Order: sequence, then structure tokens, then C-alpha cells
Amino acid sequence: MSALDLILGSDRADAHRRLQRLMGLFVVGNLAFLAVDVYLAHLENHFRHPAEWVPVGFSALAPLCMLPALIRPQGRGPRRLWILMAALSICVGVAGLVLHLSNTFFVRHTLADLVYTAPFVAPLAYAGLGLLALLNVTDQPPQDWARWVALLAAGGFLGNLGLSLADHAINGFFHATEWIPVGASAFAFSALLMMALAPTDRALRGLTVGLMGVQIVVGLAGLALHIMAPAHGWGTDHQSVVTGAPIFAPMLFADLAVLGLISALGLSSAARSAR
Amino acid sequence: MKFQNIFIAVVLGGALIVAAFMLNAARPVEDTAGPTAQAIKATGKCAQCHRQETGAVVHQYEMSAHARNDVSCLDCHRAAEGQTSESHHGFDITTEMTAKNCKACHATEYEQFARSRHAGPSWAAVHGKKHFSEAQFEEAMRHHPKAVDRKENGLAYLEGESAIVSGCESCHGVGKPNGDGSFGTCTHCHSRHNASVELARQPETCGQCHMGPDHSQLEIYSESKHGVLYNLQRARMNVAAKPKTLTTQDMPVPTCSTCHMSGLDGMAVTHDTTERLSWYLYAPVSAKRPGYQGGQNQMKALCTKCHAKGNIDAFYADAEKAVASTNAKVQEMQALMKGLRDDKLLTPQPFDEPIEFLEFDYWHYFGRTAKHGAFMGGADFVQWHGNYELLKVFKEMAEMAADLRARHGGAPDPAPEQ
Repeated sequence: MSALDLILGSDRADAHRRLQRLMGLFVVGNLAFLAVDVYLAHLENHFRHPAEWVPVGFSALAPLCMLPALIRPQGRGPRRLWILMAALSICVGVAGLVLHLSNTFFVRHTLADLVYTAPFVAPLAYAGLGLLALLNVTDQPPQDWARWVALLAAGGFLGNLGLSLADHAINGFFHATEWIPVGASAFAFSALLMMALAPTDRALRGLTVGLMGVQIVVGLAGLALHIMAPAHGWGTDHQSVVTGAPIFAPMLFADLAVLGLISALGLSSAARSAR
Repeated sequence: MKFQNIFIAVVLGGALIVAAFMLNAARPVEDTAGPTAQAIKATGKCAQCHRQETGAVVHQYEMSAHARNDVSCLDCHRAAEGQTSESHHGFDITTEMTAKNCKACHATEYEQFARSRHAGPSWAAVHGKKHFSEAQFEEAMRHHPKAVDRKENGLAYLEGESAIVSGCESCHGVGKPNGDGSFGTCTHCHSRHNASVELARQPETCGQCHMGPDHSQLEIYSESKHGVLYNLQRARMNVAAKPKTLTTQDMPVPTCSTCHMSGLDGMAVTHDTTERLSWYLYAPVSAKRPGYQGGQNQMKALCTKCHAKGNIDAFYADAEKAVASTNAKVQEMQALMKGLRDDKLLTPQPFDEPIEFLEFDYWHYFGRTAKHGAFMGGADFVQWHGNYELLKVFKEMAEMAADLRARHGGAPDPAPEQ
């Protein structure tokens, strides 16, 4: 029995459904977590604009609405609700992008304004999750499905590259370790992109899986380092969580690595079926 | 197995990293003129605001050894034990920073400082023992029994609160007993955000307090060969050299700290500024310190870094003769005043009669100046600001004493000869 059989089972026809369910869990879990993440982010802004509650509320409700589709994927009602939530997620993401465009970065064009004001790229996480959710209900051939997942994961890592570069640049790259996420996300992006373009390359897939493992380590190490950063180590109130090094940001590496691994599994599964 | 795709992936990833480096290096001036790597060492948040509000503080910090050694704002500003803290934009900081905050990293230096006269005794010289906690009093008494268990300074309290706050405490605050149990602050000599060793080595830094008629050390130093040479050559010296590895190559000419504190050419560094002293020169009649021989040996050992032993011994012998001579003159003056007091020719209140001001000036200004001048190579201060004044003022005091006796019906004493 191969490792792939262990993970996806020996029934090759069922493997793709298992992967889709895994992806569904990924989407629902991420949407739910965004409720906490966005709440903390908007807390820094003291929820000045009522619209800042929208993503928090959506993230709290959408996973509940999507759960039935995870339990009964073939049900018409749950499936429609899933698609509705996916579409709404894309809308929330695009609306968030537009609202965040009003930040001072577009007035002064400084890195400080880019990093410390509303991040206009961040809401696109909703759009990405919405696209993944939609992808999950399309009738794509398994290999194409996996390639799209790889492409979306690559897009996520490209975002990570930009965010870690900007955030750590404003921190003056005080610790040399702050370059690690920049390098890690660059290689993760390029490997996933190439994997999407060359889905049958087994060696490349192996490299990508290895790199995704590295991303998980980077994410966990980043989490530990951000917790140990002064504001968290010495502050005692909620402000230290809001204003210090963002605790959850490094976990995006591990999160996207899971997505990358799903795509690699999908491609392996598709290759196994083709043999 | 073909590795073409892997190669492309690696090249693409590498290119992205290079691009990231280039982007970071080519950041616009609006960004790079903002907080730098050094300034950001408190997670970027402190400098982000304080660059705007108190920019000099950030700039001073950027120049400091603290910045070079990854010490963040919070490392110093967080509350030490016994201090209260308050939330400041998510950071718990104290508004009562003292030497205790420095002690967290510089414990040895603090312990040395705490047993020096810069600590408890300096504050007690103004306020007596009244601001000391029980523990602080015990600690200070362990090192300087007579200097702490005393009443407040009569002259200072006569001059009033504003004179004490804006005058006395500006210097004597170096050893203030703090609410957290510690003494004083290190910033008197090292400044705050510069936290500078170089600054503490400048004679002008010590001279902020050690100047003027009551202890003219800065003026004496400036007149001395040490001072003249230092002022001429300071630009060529490595005054910022690390204390524990300071050599005569770094500082071939000494400043106050070199002789009293530095670890020159392998000697042990000390923040107990009294450690290398042998006499209580500040006292009206100078006595040997309890650690007289040890202190003198230490100071002489330091002198040998530049001077021959014979010259050092001769210098000390001359200086000690000046101490003995000054002691004799002050004792004569004290006998004169005692006679007046014993004969009830003076009121019991201090500083309410002209002769009492001369009495004070006699030892506090001219006596000290003569002794300090002798120990620091300030000839003009031994002579014109010291002994000449001692002679002149004694004559004046003797005449005033004679007048007092005459006015009170007694026969005038013949003016004593000096």
C-alpha cells in the first residue's frame, strides 16, 4: 500500500471526493478563523466604520451555513447555500478591497502607510476562499481541479511574500530571521506555480511537498517568534495583542502549505488514476 | 528524470528573493528617513510615534550602544520590581525609571554605585535620613555610617525649597533613595537615551556638579596638565572605548573617570567613585578614609600607567603635606570660632552673623580648594584660590572676632599669626 493509499484510501474513484471534502473543511475552517483575525484587526481601528463588522459577522455565520454541504455534499439545498456563501465571500473580499483603498497609503505612498494602515490586499483572503469554495463545486477533471488549487495556493504565497517583505521592512529587518519568510514564500510560490504548469512532473511535486513542509515549520517558528516579540512578552492587556507583532500572520504559511499539499495530493491522485 | 521544471522553479524563487532584496534596498527616501533598523528595535511601534513627538530621543537612542546591542525601548522602560506600570498604547511601561531599571542588565555596576558616596550619602547631605526607607538606610549605613545618619542640611533649608529643588537636588539627586528601593539614577552621568560611556568619560559631565567654589574639580582639572593635554588631544583619542578593555592607547591622557573609575590597561572597572580615594578631602578637617592604604594603592597603581613610581610617591607626599597644612589652618579657625561660641559672643543659630559665613567659606571653599588642588595638580587653586584666601579670610575673621569681643566688653585678642 502506497502512502497515497494511506491518505486517500485505495478506492481511486473516491479519492477526488475525499480531497474535495478536505478542501471544504479547509475553506470552512479558514472562514471561521477569519472572524477572530478580522475582529482583532478592526479592533485596532476601534470599529470606527460600521461596515467593519460585516466581515466579522460573515465569518461567524458563513461556516455554519456551509457545514451542511460538508456533511451532505450531494444535497441540493446545502450545495446552493454553499455556492451562495462562496459568492458572498468573494463579494466581501472585493468590497473590503475597495473600502481599504481609502487608506492613507494612496495619499503618501510610504511603506509605513502601507503597513500600518488598512491593508488593501488582506480582504482578498475572502475572495480566495470564495474561489476555492466555488472550485470545489465545479465539475473539473481531478487534475485541473488540483492545478487550480495549486495556482490559488501560489497566489496566496505571492501575497505572503509581499506582506512579509513590507511588514518586516517596516521593522527594519531587525532580526536576520525576518528574511526567512520572504525566502520561503518566494520558493513556495515558484514551486506551486511550476507544479500547476507541469502537473505530471513527479520530481517537482516531491520538491513542492518538501517545500510545503518547510512552510509549516516557518509558520510555527514565526508564531513562536511573534509571541516572544516584546509587545506580547511584556504587555498584559489586549492592546499588546493588537499592536504587537501579528501573532496569527505567520500561521498563514502553514495554512497555505496545507492548501499546497492538497493540490499535490490531487495531482498525485490524478496521476495514479491515469496509470 | 528531468529537472527542467525544478530548475525553473528554483530560478524563479531565487529571482523573487533577489527582487525582494533590491526592493528593500531601493526603498524611497520617505521610508528610509523614517525609523531605521536601530530605531525600530522596540518592534517599530515606539519610534513610529516618538520620531514625530520627541524625535531627538529616537535619534539619541539610534546613536547608542544600546541600539547596537539590540536593547529595545521596552528593555529599559518596563517596570522593575517595586515600580508601578501603566499601559501605553499596548506596552506596559513605568513612568518612574530609576537606577533599578539599569540594574536589570548592569547589576555589578549598580552594586558598586550603591556603595559609593554618589548613592545615599549625596542625598543625605541635603535632606538627612528622612527620605530613606528602613532597608535603604541600613544599606547606606553599612557603607557610610556617618554620612547618612544625619540631620538635613541647615544651610539648604535656610535657603528654601526652590533652592533645594532647582539647586541642591539637581546634583545630589544622583543618589536619591527611590520608592522601588534603589538609589539614584545612572542617567546623571550617562544621559538617558544616549546611555553613553563616552559622555561619562568627559570631564564636563562630572563638572556639571563637581565645579564651583565648594568643589572646583572641573576648574582644577582644566588647569592641570591632565586637563590641558586632554583638551588638546581629545579628538585623537578613543574616548568611546569599551570600559573593560580600555588602554592607555585609547586614552593616553586621563579624565576624571579614568583615574576614579576606569579599568585602564587591565585594572578592574568600578562605579564606586570613592574606591581609589584615601582622604576625606571634603571634610573641614580631613581624616584618612577607612580604606586609606587600599584606596591609595589602587590610585597609585593607576598612576603607574603613565608615571614613574618615584614621582607618584613624591606627588602624594606633597599633596598629603598640603592636607596637613590645611587641616592645621582650619583647626586654628575652628578654635577661634569655638572661643567665640564658648564666650556666648555668637547666637546659637547658624548663618545669622557675618563671621559664620566666613567660617563656612573658610573650609568649604578655600580649604577644600587647597586640598583638591594639591591632589589634582592645580597649582593656582592650591595657591591663589586656596591658601591665599585662607590667609586673607583668617585675618578678616580674626579682626571680626576682636571686634565682637570689644563690643561685648572684653579685651581684644591679639590677631593670631599664620
